[in-house]
Amino acid sequence: MKTYCLELSGPYACFTRPELKVERVSYDVMTPSAARACFEAILWKPAIRWHVRRIEVLKPVRWINLRRNEVASVVSTRNVETAMKTGTGDLGIYIEDDRQQRAGLFLRDVAYRVHADLEFRREHDPAGNPQKYQEMFERRAGKGQCVNQPYLGCREFAAAFRLLVSPNSEPAAIAETRDLGFMLHDLDFSNRADPQPRFFRAQLASGVVEVPPWDSEEVRG
Amino acid sequence: MILQALNRYYERSGNMPREGWVRRGVDYVIVLDRQGACVDLESVAELRNGKTVPSERLVTAIGKQAMKHTNSGKDANLLWDNASFVFGKGNKGDIKLASFIDTLEHWLGGVSDPGVQAVKLFCRKLQAHPSDADALIERFQFKDDFDKRDPVLIFRLADDIESIHLRPPVRAAYEEMLTTTRSDSPLRGNCLVSGLTAVPLAPNESVIKGVWGGQPAGCNIVSFNARAFESYGKRERNGENAPISVQASFAYTTALNHLLSSRQRIQVGDASTVFWAEEPHDLENAIPDLFGDPPKDDPDKNIRAVETLYSAVHTGKFVQGGPDTRFHVLGLSPNAARISIRFWETASAMELGRRIKQHFDDLEIAHADYEPRYLSLFRLLTGVALLHKADNIPPTLGGEIMRAILGGLPYPAQLLNLAVIRCRAEQKPTYARAAAIKASLNRLIRSRRTHEKEFMPVLDPANTNSAYRLGRLFATLEKVQEEASPGLNATIRDRYYGAASSTPVSVFTTLLRLKNHHLGKLSPGRATQMEKLIGAILAEVADFPKLLPLPDQGRFALGYYHQRQAFFTKSETKNQENAQ
Repeated sequence: MKTYCLELSGPYACFTRPELKVERVSYDVMTPSAARACFEAILWKPAIRWHVRRIEVLKPVRWINLRRNEVASVVSTRNVETAMKTGTGDLGIYIEDDRQQRAGLFLRDVAYRVHADLEFRREHDPAGNPQKYQEMFERRAGKGQCVNQPYLGCREFAAAFRLLVSPNSEPAAIAETRDLGFMLHDLDFSNRADPQPRFFRAQLASGVVEVPPWDSEEVRG
Repeated sequence: MILQALNRYYERSGNMPREGWVRRGVDYVIVLDRQGACVDLESVAELRNGKTVPSERLVTAIGKQAMKHTNSGKDANLLWDNASFVFGKGNKGDIKLASFIDTLEHWLGGVSDPGVQAVKLFCRKLQAHPSDADALIERFQFKDDFDKRDPVLIFRLADDIESIHLRPPVRAAYEEMLTTTRSDSPLRGNCLVSGLTAVPLAPNESVIKGVWGGQPAGCNIVSFNARAFESYGKRERNGENAPISVQASFAYTTALNHLLSSRQRIQVGDASTVFWAEEPHDLENAIPDLFGDPPKDDPDKNIRAVETLYSAVHTGKFVQGGPDTRFHVLGLSPNAARISIRFWETASAMELGRRIKQHFDDLEIAHADYEPRYLSLFRLLTGVALLHKADNIPPTLGGEIMRAILGGLPYPAQLLNLAVIRCRAEQKPTYARAAAIKASLNRLIRSRRTHEKEFMPVLDPANTNSAYRLGRLFATLEKVQEEASPGLNATIRDRYYGAASSTPVSVFTTLLRLKNHHLGKLSPGRATQMEKLIGAILAEVADFPKLLPLPDQGRFALGYYHQRQAFFTKSETKNQENAQ
């Protein structure tokens, strides 16, 4: 497994707490699942899996409170299936009747340095080798190429990314140490119909959050 | 973080109801004899501030219906409830009465206590003869109250002092039943608040009452009440969208309800703010006095609170509680049936004390004797609102200011903008607006580390900022006009303030020409004095700018205000000297 380091930054971020998902409140620091999504936005194949190891916070934690107009309903999958079969249908949502105003406590001016391992899973690509995927990732990340724009928690908060080849020569993380409480590690998709969240106790030590491995006992779920 | 901190507060505080109990307002007590006949219907409502409020009592809480009923009519409470459940009145009355009896049978069916028997007999009699309820209410002459609303009722035996649900045998049986029902719950998982694994999860949350502007029946923090809020299709299964254990859910909702009904809350704009420390602390009691208006019978209360805070920060010690105790402040604002978190600050008590002191230092400005020495938040906010009305305060401003104070951040730009705009609209920088402008500008200077000199509370003759000096000049010219023509209805301030503060060059040339006529009408000594002052002010002004941007208009307003205050204090001493 080879470790890669990406620097992710953006003007806004919202790593929503699951319990405060409606009137969004963000975690103080990036969650491992959001970091994984940024790596996967650059390169993902069935034969590889990303494991986030470390998240370093590069800018002090600042908040902003915003109120936004959103909608209350989702497009019904049954309507979509019917429309696909019959060829016609009305799938629009009429926003005037459906408005919901949701406030959110978001992070602003964030920058993180994320270290993740690229794991090659031979069972999905018997003929391949890890170097193929490593070079693909290095090429793509170096050029700034991605499948979809990496985002910081919510899709509307786009992230700018940069591959760091020598992370030790970069500026240090902020000098803050505190306990962040229980944080979402990631979702367990082994049962596709009913994903389960898993949590771990996050500690910010001199600006660095060490993320325990998925199958360790620190990750409760 | 937030729910965990509330959880810890519940655990450390001794006087909150334990699980299975809740504090609710009760209106009437039904007094029964041992045969279940009603002997009396007493009102226990108290008179407070001229209004009748229900009396807070400890009652059983077998589920969410203790705070708010669903619409089914089948979720009665145990040994207490609204008149519609106890008497079977109104819509779905018979279903509700049946549910009340069923609940009693289910929880205390095997108990042979005379109080429980009396309630059972009473309710069965009512079930058999529904019109008895109205007759009962008529007998005790409470018909108007019962028609208008649905009061809460509890029971008492005629020869007892305490209510039936608080009788020792009843209590023991109830708590035993609680422990057996608690352990079998369908939903199990890991709690994200306490971190415990395989604990029963709360399917949904009890309501929070007391957030200003929310539904009176109560709002939820953790609620997923529309399709768009659910994740992965977990429809109508709140507990699975956010796994929180029953115990943690009870703990944090009880803690929050308790804080919202106690003294440890203030209202900042539309944000209901609660605050607590990890151990009993001085600052907990001081914050309502620091930020709120003092009560009418004790107008010096907030002065004393601020001075106590200043001395605590100077000496580094509080009277009660340590300087490193963690202090939490949570701002909640309503959104119909939900609550949104406006801000959340955690800091050590000393750090928070220092930041609050910094806020009062920044806000300090010269004022007339009849104005309060320390501005409360309400006064600050209404000072920058249209017509000084609380309804016209922009909704997010209160929360943002509170966050700025508690976090030691610069004040929101909206505060400075509003203050300057109101000064222009009413042609008058008042105490609250000038204080807001001075505080905003000083914090901006400090945070951006520009080399500008910070503004002092009183007039600063050495400040060379040209916008500040133009404000001073305007005040001086107005004073000259006032002294030359006493008893004027409209001075140059009413005519020219807006133009002078935004486009000085267009106005000041005219004003400087007019001043000569005014100076001619003054006594020669006074005229020379004012001329010298004008000369001193204009010495540092190179040229009249064509346009002043908004922060500079703030400096203009500040200079005007400072100079006016200086004139009024100086002329008082001058009169005293003349009199002597």
